[in-house]
Amino acid sequence: MGLVSPILTAGETALLALLPESEVGEAARTAIRIGGLPTRRVEAFKWSDLRAALADGLPPADGSAGMVPECLQDALVIDFAPDGLGIEGDKGAGLTIETESSQPLDGAGIIPAIAAALAPKTVVLTITESQAAPIFLRRHPGSPMRIRVEAAEGVEVTLVDTGLATSGLSTALLEIVVAGGAKVTRITLQDGGSAAIDLVHAHVTIAAGGLYEATALTFGGRFARAETFATLQGQGAHCRIDGAYLLSGHGHADATTRITHSAEGGTTRELFKGAVKDKARGVFQGKILVERAAQKTDARQNHHALMLSEGAEVDAKPELEIYADDVACAHGNTVGALDESALFYMRQRGIPLVQARALLVQAFVTEVLDIITHEGARDWLSGRVEAWMDAASL
Amino acid sequence: MRSLHSVIPDRKRDDQLLPIVSKTKKAMPRTMPRTMLSIKNLIVDIDGKTIINGLTLDVPAGQVHAIMGPNGAGKSTLSYALTGRSGYEVTGGTATLDGIDLLALAPEDRAAKGLFLSFQYPLEIPGVPSLTFLRTALNAQRRARGEDEMSVPDFMKLSRDVAKRLGVTPDMMKRPLNVGFSGGEKKRMEIYQMAILAPRFMILDETDSGLDIDALRVVSEGVNALRGPDRSMLVITHYQRLLDLITPDRVHVLAGGKIVDSGGPELALALEADGYDRYKDAA
Repeated sequence: MGLVSPILTAGETALLALLPESEVGEAARTAIRIGGLPTRRVEAFKWSDLRAALADGLPPADGSAGMVPECLQDALVIDFAPDGLGIEGDKGAGLTIETESSQPLDGAGIIPAIAAALAPKTVVLTITESQAAPIFLRRHPGSPMRIRVEAAEGVEVTLVDTGLATSGLSTALLEIVVAGGAKVTRITLQDGGSAAIDLVHAHVTIAAGGLYEATALTFGGRFARAETFATLQGQGAHCRIDGAYLLSGHGHADATTRITHSAEGGTTRELFKGAVKDKARGVFQGKILVERAAQKTDARQNHHALMLSEGAEVDAKPELEIYADDVACAHGNTVGALDESALFYMRQRGIPLVQARALLVQAFVTEVLDIITHEGARDWLSGRVEAWMDAASL
Repeated sequence: MRSLHSVIPDRKRDDQLLPIVSKTKKAMPRTMPRTMLSIKNLIVDIDGKTIINGLTLDVPAGQVHAIMGPNGAGKSTLSYALTGRSGYEVTGGTATLDGIDLLALAPEDRAAKGLFLSFQYPLEIPGVPSLTFLRTALNAQRRARGEDEMSVPDFMKLSRDVAKRLGVTPDMMKRPLNVGFSGGEKKRMEIYQMAILAPRFMILDETDSGLDIDALRVVSEGVNALRGPDRSMLVITHYQRLLDLITPDRVHVLAGGKIVDSGGPELALALEADGYDRYKDAA
């Protein structure tokens, strides 16, 4: 069998040039050389053509890392910046922060391969006591993040991560290890500009009785893909992955989740809701795999989207793959327009059309944000939703 | 057409009576009430099919007029056309409120001018708490009229006072508007909204449908409390029973897309007794 070397696009060439001469760099290089960046011909990328997004080369990194919001002032902030790693705030007891060289993450795909290769180091957070203050992971434009969070048995920790570059390639690879009875909460804000390529992969393992709960608010970019691959390894593990997306212009956002139940009695709750307008495209690919051993699994997945313009697009692929025979699994998926009758009703009460649409859209996605228990973070993200409504002039 | 005039010979017509009053009793300060809603030769199509066909109706300030008619007569079409729902295409005629051309305005602007429709089937608005919805609506109307927005404390006081009168519970006010409400709760919420928005012209579209007798009384009391010299109402109903509780000044029969008969409250009683059959060929 001969390898066919694809013709490299400007983006692929530029990306190859960025990869380091190391084992992890070589792994990514080989992946790109053999198949090129994934295109729509690759099933897992059929609505998110990374090669096309980077066809003209890598846009220069631009934008700001964003401010830490008032409600998260108590957070320990870890900056992933062009000049290296920065830490601000008081480190709680039971938390150690170390770095190690970035090694390949096998078998997870092209995005973690690139993210692993671009990261200069892996930041390792070892958490042996519950952390009262959230840990804020702040990605600066053009600075790759790789982090491994190891939450020891029974501890609780909240992670907040942001990707706010307006331009350029941003990558993040998170490995999250939830030990027995531990609880890791993750809150994500992604808001990229029209020249932002944002590639994020979270690799999560959950031990017996452990809980991983994640909520993301996504405004997309030229190309934004957030993957979560979670495995419920221990008995009675819980996983909740939620996301809200609001896209306009030519924005693109892709949420791809793969949740594997390998042990008995695990639960999964997944709720994604989004609204797209103009020429934007929202993608949801959610797979729940229940292995033979994972009896008594209780998994529910829902994705609901609103199309606010004729030219907008939402693509969804919900998948349940079940090998155990005593499980409760369900999924629901709807894509529709705003209810014209409801809009008329609101206008009859004197609410102008634009405001009526905004109220309905906001109420629609707020269901997702309402699940967040950290009050400050919930208000922070709700504020971002309101700002989007004002700017989008629905 | 067989007229009801023969059935109820002692009925008096306003248009005959009023000029005599003004001529013979010059000293009396009473003047003929100004016309609030004026509809002339209105034609409304849905999907190219004419539903309202040359309807003419004047409702003076301070009066309650009832519109009765058989199913399919165009009662709901009239209420939607007046409030500007899309799909209800006005192809002829005029409709004015205090001289303002309603048909030229967007639905929200008609609302700001004081036009309110109590829906036959109130919509559910998921995710928007009733009070948030209502405050948004009230302040949007006030802004449109160039008035200051109502402050949160003032609004809370108003909403609580009105709620007490209409049996609207704090739970109903907090829940998303109409979501999970019973039929009766939805209708009560319509009247609650009406009381807070304080419109000048109200259309009640089959407000009695789905109400038991107790709920009907609460709703009717709420409606009657809003009657006044500067307010008018159009009460659309299929049955007489609502008109026992909300006594109309005039009753009109809508059949085949136009008003085919008009009279006093006794006309409703006659309809209740005899049905609408006599109007079958009227249109």
